[in-house]
Amino acid sequence: MSTILQLTDATIKFGGLTAVNKVSFNLQKGDLFGLIGPNGAGKTTCFNLITGVYKPTSGSIVFNGKEISGTPSNKIASLGICRTFQNIRLFPALSVLENVVVGAYLRHKTGLGSALAYLPSAIAETEALRAEAFALLQVVDLDDVAHVRSADLPYGKQRRLEIARAMATQPSLLLLDEPAAGMNPQEKDDLARVVRRIRDEFEKTVLLIEHDMRFVMGLCERIVVLDHGEEIAQGPPEAIRSNPKVIEAYLGEAV
Amino acid sequence: MFYLKRFGWVILAILLCVGFESVVTSGKNFDYVYRMCVLAGLYVTLAVSLNLINGITGQFSIGHAAFYQVGAYITGFFAATGYKGFASNSLVQQLSHIGVNATWTVQGLWLVMMVLAGAAGAAVAGFVVGLPSLRLKGDYLAIVTLGFGEIIRIVCQNQPALGGAYGMKIEPRINSMWFVWLLAILCIAVCRNLLKTAHGLPFLAVREDEVASSAMGVDVTKVKVTAFVIGAAFAGAAGALLGHFEGFVSPPMFKMEVSFMVLTMVVLGGTGSITGSTVGALLLFGIPEWLRQIEDSHHNPILVSAGSVLGFAIMLVAAVAYVRHLIHHFHGEKKAKTQRIVGTFAAALVAQFFLGMLLNLVPALRDKSWPYADLRWAIFAVTLIVLMLLRPQGMFAHHEFSVARFFKRPKEAAA
Repeated sequence: MSTILQLTDATIKFGGLTAVNKVSFNLQKGDLFGLIGPNGAGKTTCFNLITGVYKPTSGSIVFNGKEISGTPSNKIASLGICRTFQNIRLFPALSVLENVVVGAYLRHKTGLGSALAYLPSAIAETEALRAEAFALLQVVDLDDVAHVRSADLPYGKQRRLEIARAMATQPSLLLLDEPAAGMNPQEKDDLARVVRRIRDEFEKTVLLIEHDMRFVMGLCERIVVLDHGEEIAQGPPEAIRSNPKVIEAYLGEAV
Repeated sequence: MFYLKRFGWVILAILLCVGFESVVTSGKNFDYVYRMCVLAGLYVTLAVSLNLINGITGQFSIGHAAFYQVGAYITGFFAATGYKGFASNSLVQQLSHIGVNATWTVQGLWLVMMVLAGAAGAAVAGFVVGLPSLRLKGDYLAIVTLGFGEIIRIVCQNQPALGGAYGMKIEPRINSMWFVWLLAILCIAVCRNLLKTAHGLPFLAVREDEVASSAMGVDVTKVKVTAFVIGAAFAGAAGALLGHFEGFVSPPMFKMEVSFMVLTMVVLGGTGSITGSTVGALLLFGIPEWLRQIEDSHHNPILVSAGSVLGFAIMLVAAVAYVRHLIHHFHGEKKAKTQRIVGTFAAALVAQFFLGMLLNLVPALRDKSWPYADLRWAIFAVTLIVLMLLRPQGMFAHHEFSVARFFKRPKEAAA
């Protein structure tokens, strides 16, 4: 197995606040990796560092052997890292299918000129991208609502749509920011199945942030725990569960 | 086959425009109607091109008159310096024998060149304005574009080389109604094509959510600048045609009012809808002209004055509602409550202001010489308000006109 993502001492400071402090971890190809920690631990900031929303103050982030810290978000997406958002960020006025096509658009080949002139090449490409997007909607079981405005979808389906949209960029590394937030146990089980399927069938590496311990422990094979921007533990779920530092971070110090 | 069909459409569009022109010119005293048709065509181009920036890409730009002006002034500049040389050029002289009428051919060639030059110049201006849009959002970008529009106008006004406040004479005057409408059709077609293909989606995505689009690999910078460049180019081309139609260009032709008028056309038609912008442009340009008849006829002065004042009052109240609608549109739900409070407060102030004005106007109610020049604008304003109150999302909202919509439910089968 080869390393796909390597964080080395990644640090970001916002003024006096160190949101992420010297966090290091490695992701192997095909990992199902969990990133957990109490609220405000710096998990989402970590995602923002990896996806280029922020540039780390120091430290390095290497993806597939290439330093990516400071690369703009859209370049990182085309390198093969795509994410979902903690607070859902779909394109509300676009249809479900169009949302996914935006993800697939990354691979367009025809120029803007041929689109403006409505040449056959642009039309054919549009058709191909739409077909591709539709196939992905079938995977996440949203094909029946393909032409509904995405804002009109119920919450759980919006979450699934975000995953489909990210998958449409054909990333090799998929970052999921609290994918199970606000879901009921049944929906969570379905989601876990979808995530596992993404890893096994589509051979993606998955890094996910989650608060639901049952969900994370049941799904992830390796976990890293952050608290106050610092990494406090790393390892398989069993080791994390019994780690005193982790228990302390979540439940407070023993009296 | 495809290209044959495309060729057919282009020929059809040209025939339609030429046919339209000949229908208009066949009437008696067609000067007024002709002029209105030309200006309407230019406004359609402006509105549809602004819709690309404002409605489709969601960059709140209110300096569209500047691009219009850049196109017009470029034409003015070239016409003053280069037209004689162009017309006497031996190649042009040879080409002029191709058409039915030598003068027409020379002028037509010149016009095409000027439209391209105006478009290119405005595209550069669009690029320059597009750059700050990378950092600014919503209201802030609006201020920058507004400022840009004023800068262009004031610079032209103070440059002796550009005719200063008098403007420039443009020789020759070219009556080019069919060309104006062809440009409008081209502008509509380009925007429609963009939205029909996958290439339009990044533009819409940037409007919906910049962070998410960039996470999906959309180059937000490129999309925004492209929208500005294309939108500005069409406005510049329209400006070039305006210059040659009017026979002169001067700074007051590109005042802020023009930008606002075009913006209102877009919002009224439904931000993001090409059909909406087109219909909005035709209506907003057409209604005041139609109302001119009322102004010219002699009505009861008291009724007229009262109507005028009432219209103004309603206009102002609705202006508040309208601005609130805009703010609401660009910032989402969160701030709605604060805005409602501020809006109500502002509306109360405005109402008070107008109560005072109404009282001041009482003597004017009896004065037969009171000018009603603004009446049509008041009625016009009321029309706008009623429309905006009844349908804040604009006449067409996000929708486009399509024949299919009349016959079937929009449920297409994906490939």
